[in-house]
Amino acid sequence: MRNVLAVVYRDALIRLTSLTWLFFDMAVPLLYLLMFGVGFNKAVGMGVTMGGAAVSYNDFFLAGVLSMSCFGSAINQSYGFFVDRDNGIFYEFLTYPMTRGEFLLGKMLFQCIMALAQTALTLTAAVLLLDIPVNLTLLPLTVLAVMAGIAGWFFALSIVAFRVRRNDTFNTLINVAYFVLMFISSMFYPLDAVPLWLKYLSYANPLTWHTDVLRYLTVGAGSLPVIALESAGFLLFLVISFLFAQQALKKAA
Amino acid sequence: MIAVSVQNLVKEYPRPDGTTLRAVDDISFSVEQGRIFGLLGPNGAGKSTTIKVLTTLLPPTAGTVLVNGFDAVAQPLQVRNSLCVVLQENAVEMFLTVRHNFLTFGRFHGLSSAAIERRMGRAVELFGLHEVLHQKPIDLSGGVKRRVQVAKMFLVDKPVVILDEATTGMDTFNKRATVNAIREEARSGRTIILTTHMLEEAEELCDSIAIINHGRIVAGGTMDDVKKMGLQMFYLTLKFNEIGKELQELVQKFAPVKLDIVDNEVNVTVREHHTALDILSLARSTGALKHFEITTASLEDVFVELIDRKRAAEGR
Ligand SMILES: Nc1ncnc2c1ncn2[C@@H]1O[C@H](COP(=O)(O)OP(=O)(O)OP(=O)(O)O)[C@@H](O)[C@H]1O
Ligand SMILES: [Mg+2]
Repeated sequence: MRNVLAVVYRDALIRLTSLTWLFFDMAVPLLYLLMFGVGFNKAVGMGVTMGGAAVSYNDFFLAGVLSMSCFGSAINQSYGFFVDRDNGIFYEFLTYPMTRGEFLLGKMLFQCIMALAQTALTLTAAVLLLDIPVNLTLLPLTVLAVMAGIAGWFFALSIVAFRVRRNDTFNTLINVAYFVLMFISSMFYPLDAVPLWLKYLSYANPLTWHTDVLRYLTVGAGSLPVIALESAGFLLFLVISFLFAQQALKKAA
Repeated sequence: MIAVSVQNLVKEYPRPDGTTLRAVDDISFSVEQGRIFGLLGPNGAGKSTTIKVLTTLLPPTAGTVLVNGFDAVAQPLQVRNSLCVVLQENAVEMFLTVRHNFLTFGRFHGLSSAAIERRMGRAVELFGLHEVLHQKPIDLSGGVKRRVQVAKMFLVDKPVVILDEATTGMDTFNKRATVNAIREEARSGRTIILTTHMLEEAEELCDSIAIINHGRIVAGGTMDDVKKMGLQMFYLTLKFNEIGKELQELVQKFAPVKLDIVDNEVNVTVREHHTALDILSLARSTGALKHFEITTASLEDVFVELIDRKRAAEGR
């Protein structure tokens, strides 16, 4: 644990050197919710239907914003490996007395701590400004789900960051992947309403699983058996990503 | 006690065309605790590759590496816990102050902030970093960045210190400070492994060395063994206003390895330091000496010499 905390300490120092970065890291999901969400809420006045019930677009979109910010945080954190590689410190890290797993867990934990603040901000705005009926009794589970989301995506993207040597290639790959994954998921629209092929594709996407879980926990939309399955699926994705990321890190030197 | 042992180490890299490059080809050496060991060789010899295997950055293709008794493949964590390393490539936190660089490094090596603060004084003094302690490396010159990187080794007390061309980019003053600091660490019982291109630096510092070329050890042993091989050479360049005929004859008497006279310039290669000085005073006594230069043999020359000797021995 001491080694994991050493990584958290280091990442915290780095993040504190740029307050602009810190600000945007915190504010992006909030801006998304307020601008994008509110715009759609007006455009889709009658809301969306989920399992026969009508849900306002703001309520629906909240989980999308949360899962999107998990993905975004994971991109930022995994991109950091390129900066560290350019400074050479990345290779020095690998000679420090900690396991590859501890290094990855430390990075993940730091980003989770950041995400807690981010989530608190987003949920507060959702409740106070948009009157979204967030289920506060399930809040601890929501927090856990956010952390799991960060971990899963961070480990998965780390595999790419360790395998790809160039940051421009990484950027392109991630941009394309992000775009595709977002649109074949339940982030922007309920999957009841989309063509069958898109629905099947979307259910094979961990981003859908994560978003659905968050949607259930925040506004109670969705059915519990499906959510349970999706949770299990996402946890499996997380564990497999972690194992592969460790392997990829061993080969990164 | 043997602190570091490398036995029949082989490291191959895959090439893009599917073949492999043998960067380290069956190297063996061992280093006693508290000794300074030098790994010498020209560019591409395989020094850094060996260091990377020692520090568990790369797995070996074959052979065994033990650091502090731990196996680099089977016990990488224990190996890393026994050493600290200055890699050849720069490694500093560009956006953290020098002080924070030290604090994070110390934390990673298991020290509390209080312990690091206590040790920082010496590292800062050794490498003259007092004035830049609150600056970020991104704003510092290359040599100062290197000093920050090297200074970190003196914050922790890991038993084995590995330095891959640690003095690169430093000015003479700081090179000297580094050399002195390394010597002091060895006296306190730490084992040092360093790489360098400079025979002089190795001569000054190392108890034993291995000279490698194309991944193989071409010469090695204690510094005395190596000195006995007579690898050291001095080049003397003398420029005169005019040269008298007798000069060539006089210089020949010193039995130089090589002597060239072109116009008013004389180039002599000799094996002994004092011979070079004797020739120089002879040149001065002519009263026509305009300019002189004495340089020592580069490692590349040493290889040419070693390879020539090998060929001669095989031809016999
Ligand atoms: N990651 C790598 N992939 C493929 N080949 C490599 C890699 N790293 C080094 N090499 C090759 O291995 C050989 C040994 O390189 P190495 O870096 O160990 O040399 P060195 O002795 O440290 O040289 P220098 O004095 O220039 O630092 C070289 O031919 C080099 O091109
Ligand atoms: Mg090298």
